[in-house]
Amino acid sequence: MRFQDVTMALDRFWADRGCVIAPPHDTEVGAGTFYPTTFLRALGPAPWRVAGIAPSRRPADGRYGDNPYRFQYYYQYQVVLKPSPADVQEIYLASLYHLGIDPGAHDIRFVEDNWESPTLGAWGLGWEVWMDGMEITQFTYFQQVGGIDCEPISVELTYGLERLAMYLQGAAHAFDVEVASGVTMGALRADFERQHCHYNFHHADPELQRLLFDRFEAEAQRLLGLDLLYPAYEFALRCSHAFNLLDARGVLSHTERQGYVQRIRRLTEACARAYLAPPVTGSAAEVR
Amino acid sequence: MSTLLLEIGVEELPSWYVRQGENALPELLGERLAAAGLDHGPMRSFATPRRLAVLVHELATHSRRREQARRGPAEGAAFDADGAPTKAAVGFARSFGVDPAALTVEETERGRYVFARREVGGEDAAELLPELLGGVIRDLPAPRKMRWGEHEFAFVRPLAWLVALLDDQLLPLRLAGLDAGRATRGHRFLHPAEIVLRAAADYPDALAAASVIAARSARRAAVLDTAGAAAAGAGLVLEREAGLEDEVTDLVEWPTGILGCFDADFLELPEAVLATVMIRHQRFFPTRFDQGNLAPWFVAVSNNRVPDEGVVRSGYEQVLRGRLEDARFFWDADRRQTLAQHAWALAGIAFHKELGSMADKVARVAQSTRRLTELLGASKEEAATLKQALPLFRADLATQMVYELPELEGTMGRAYALAEGLPERVAVALEDGVLPRGPGAALPGSRIGALLAVADRLDTVVGFFAIGRRPSGSADPFGVRRAALGALRTLTAQGWRVPLPKVLEAVAASFTTPSVSNETVAAVERYLWERVAGMLSDEGLPQKVVRAAVQGSRSVIGAGRRAHLLLALLPLPGFGDLLTLHKRAANLAKQAPEGVGVKPALFRDPVEAPLHDALPEARRGVERLMASARKQLPPWDLGRGPGQDLTDLDAAVADVVRIKTPLDAFFEGVLVMVDDAEVRANRLALLAEVAEALSDLGALRELEATSEG
Repeated sequence: MRFQDVTMALDRFWADRGCVIAPPHDTEVGAGTFYPTTFLRALGPAPWRVAGIAPSRRPADGRYGDNPYRFQYYYQYQVVLKPSPADVQEIYLASLYHLGIDPGAHDIRFVEDNWESPTLGAWGLGWEVWMDGMEITQFTYFQQVGGIDCEPISVELTYGLERLAMYLQGAAHAFDVEVASGVTMGALRADFERQHCHYNFHHADPELQRLLFDRFEAEAQRLLGLDLLYPAYEFALRCSHAFNLLDARGVLSHTERQGYVQRIRRLTEACARAYLAPPVTGSAAEVR
Repeated sequence: MSTLLLEIGVEELPSWYVRQGENALPELLGERLAAAGLDHGPMRSFATPRRLAVLVHELATHSRRREQARRGPAEGAAFDADGAPTKAAVGFARSFGVDPAALTVEETERGRYVFARREVGGEDAAELLPELLGGVIRDLPAPRKMRWGEHEFAFVRPLAWLVALLDDQLLPLRLAGLDAGRATRGHRFLHPAEIVLRAAADYPDALAAASVIAARSARRAAVLDTAGAAAAGAGLVLEREAGLEDEVTDLVEWPTGILGCFDADFLELPEAVLATVMIRHQRFFPTRFDQGNLAPWFVAVSNNRVPDEGVVRSGYEQVLRGRLEDARFFWDADRRQTLAQHAWALAGIAFHKELGSMADKVARVAQSTRRLTELLGASKEEAATLKQALPLFRADLATQMVYELPELEGTMGRAYALAEGLPERVAVALEDGVLPRGPGAALPGSRIGALLAVADRLDTVVGFFAIGRRPSGSADPFGVRRAALGALRTLTAQGWRVPLPKVLEAVAASFTTPSVSNETVAAVERYLWERVAGMLSDEGLPQKVVRAAVQGSRSVIGAGRRAHLLLALLPLPGFGDLLTLHKRAANLAKQAPEGVGVKPALFRDPVEAPLHDALPEARRGVERLMASARKQLPPWDLGRGPGQDLTDLDAAVADVVRIKTPLDAFFEGVLVMVDDAEVRANRLALLAEVAEALSDLGALRELEATSEG
């Protein structure tokens, strides 16, 4: 199964189970959890089902493409089901079957893995799913998001697409995975990966990123004051990416790091509150 | 008599909770059954990743008839001036379902109160159980619970199904949108169909037939069996590790051992690295050849019995290869630099913003170990070892291997030291210096390693106290308590009789910023003695003995030995009386003027000289007792106890107790507080010497306390 067939098969599978197949969000994020379609929609009472490929960036995780599993840019497949269905484990196993993985022929385990995101004020309990010893999916029941208790509870499934495809194709390195006929992941991403690693680790200008962080933060706060939640949230995401770059550059002391995390958290939590409490009368933005 | 089955079907539990739940469920159910007056016979507990269950045998069909009493208002508030029950009393009686006229007044420790009594019991177990079982599931203790779906209910993981059967009777129990039924489930993959139970007692056999080994002990045995057999098939021996065995047991319902291999080239990696990757990351069992060296084979325990083991095996092997390649990459990369070069990078690793970098910390440790060796002495070779080890201490923190596999800190210091040709004793000290890794974990074996360990741990304790971050309650974000316990265990296990304040002075002197005040050192000392007291209590020693020993000691091992000595002395003949007399002497001696010695020339009564003459013998007795404690109680792991009782103390005790006769006679025969100031001062000084002679046994006044505190 080629890489793009895997994502298309997952799209089909989850669309058949009532999910909106959402295109990737176009602001850099560290994980699909940061998508507004996950972070914001996990809040409040409204039911919600969404799925789709979620390209993610974690500058510090880059290895210049040398490591078969670790990249600064990679693909997750992100599913959120709210409220979490009682048979979600069975549905998940059926999705593997749909990809041609017969759970009966493998050693599949749900192994405790709890999740916490200090920048999102969020935590959840769940598992990493092991297939023959390899972690292929993270499975989380959100308990709190944006500092707010979830009600009802959403479940998030995050497939590691590269790993899954490597397994299906018997590839030793993610770059050996065939994406489309005759086109490998490496042909698409190797240069991109290497250059970004050089940028992330050596050439990103820390002063610029610090400045950007401050300005993005101020902008997010200003927009929150105008009840413009969605733009504000995107600036919070940009803060998060600027922070990740500073972290990868290794210029943050422990204390400084904590300070940045707290600042992002204040923004995301403010966005969460704004999402749950829309202005009763016309918003300030409309008035002006 | 009935048999009760409660099965809580869950989505996969954390493996550690399987172990916890195995005990917690029958414990809580037992409590609730007792409270409900339902007598029962033995209970059998079952725990797997997907279920917690308990079978209660010989359960009474009806609750026991028994009297139930409840305390109401105080007598004064229960009756008015005419002796008629007040509103409060009537309300109380009604709420308990008794006639106000039937209230009685009883004397309690806190005064006279009104009581209501009634006969309860005789209720049908089937009536009581649904609510009782629901409460047990709801209240089952767990460190952290979660919610799911749209339910208010919280449990360790989402509930998947419930079974509640009293013999063949289905109990109506509804929780979190689930109705308890007769249907249990077998193995997730090997027996996906539901199993309908006819009666509670059928449970164990039904599960066994559905590929679930539900009892933990049986499953643990099966894990070892199948894993051992897989290894033995290739002439290999399974590496035993209790933590791994437990964890694997609680990750499977039906274990199947599968042998896999890895490239023998990886064997160039240190064994600890290979074992950590296999055990901690993959939950694989390492294997050894007959001769004892590690083999390039492992055993994975699958939760599934698959049609083609080759598929699963190649998956395991591929994942392990990836992990080992990573490890080899780090091993090679790290060795391109010497440990001394890695140590430079410690300046870039923060310890804490107010306490500097790891380089700052290690520099302080270097200073304090030098001061400590002055206190403790060191052979020429030990001094040389320390000199070589200090600049490399904790340098492995800067290596990639330790960054990726933090549990290998120390282990890698040793491995890299050996790889660059440093002497074994230096390598050992580097590893020992980070021990113990946790409560109950192994302590440093080498003397120099122990010195580093104590200096490093106490640097943490003193440092965080100095910046006002001492642990409070259960909050200990910087691991100060763990560091304190590690240092105290190490000090004791080394048998170092150095006074704790001296050790702390040596550590505190190494700080410049922040500076460490005398108050801070005193606070640390108090904190450490509290920990010592706690650890001695863990050894089963009574509070008063611990207090007496701790208050009367300067070194940690001294406190331990005194505590065990006092425990042995307490029941011995005459010792109790001696304590009473000692207390009297010590109380009076408080009034003794400072710096006045006993002058026999001022003795005015014939009972004074004999008491004075008895002192040397008592002192010798005390010395002999302490010597026996030192001899019979070699250094041990504080908190676990020395593992032996003190014996043959009688002769030495007799020497001490003999002072009782002249002391008795002294109190009988003379008035201490006479008008003649010189005689009075002399008598007080004599009593001060008596108290002092016994003081090496500990703060004996603590033993006088009547309660066990």
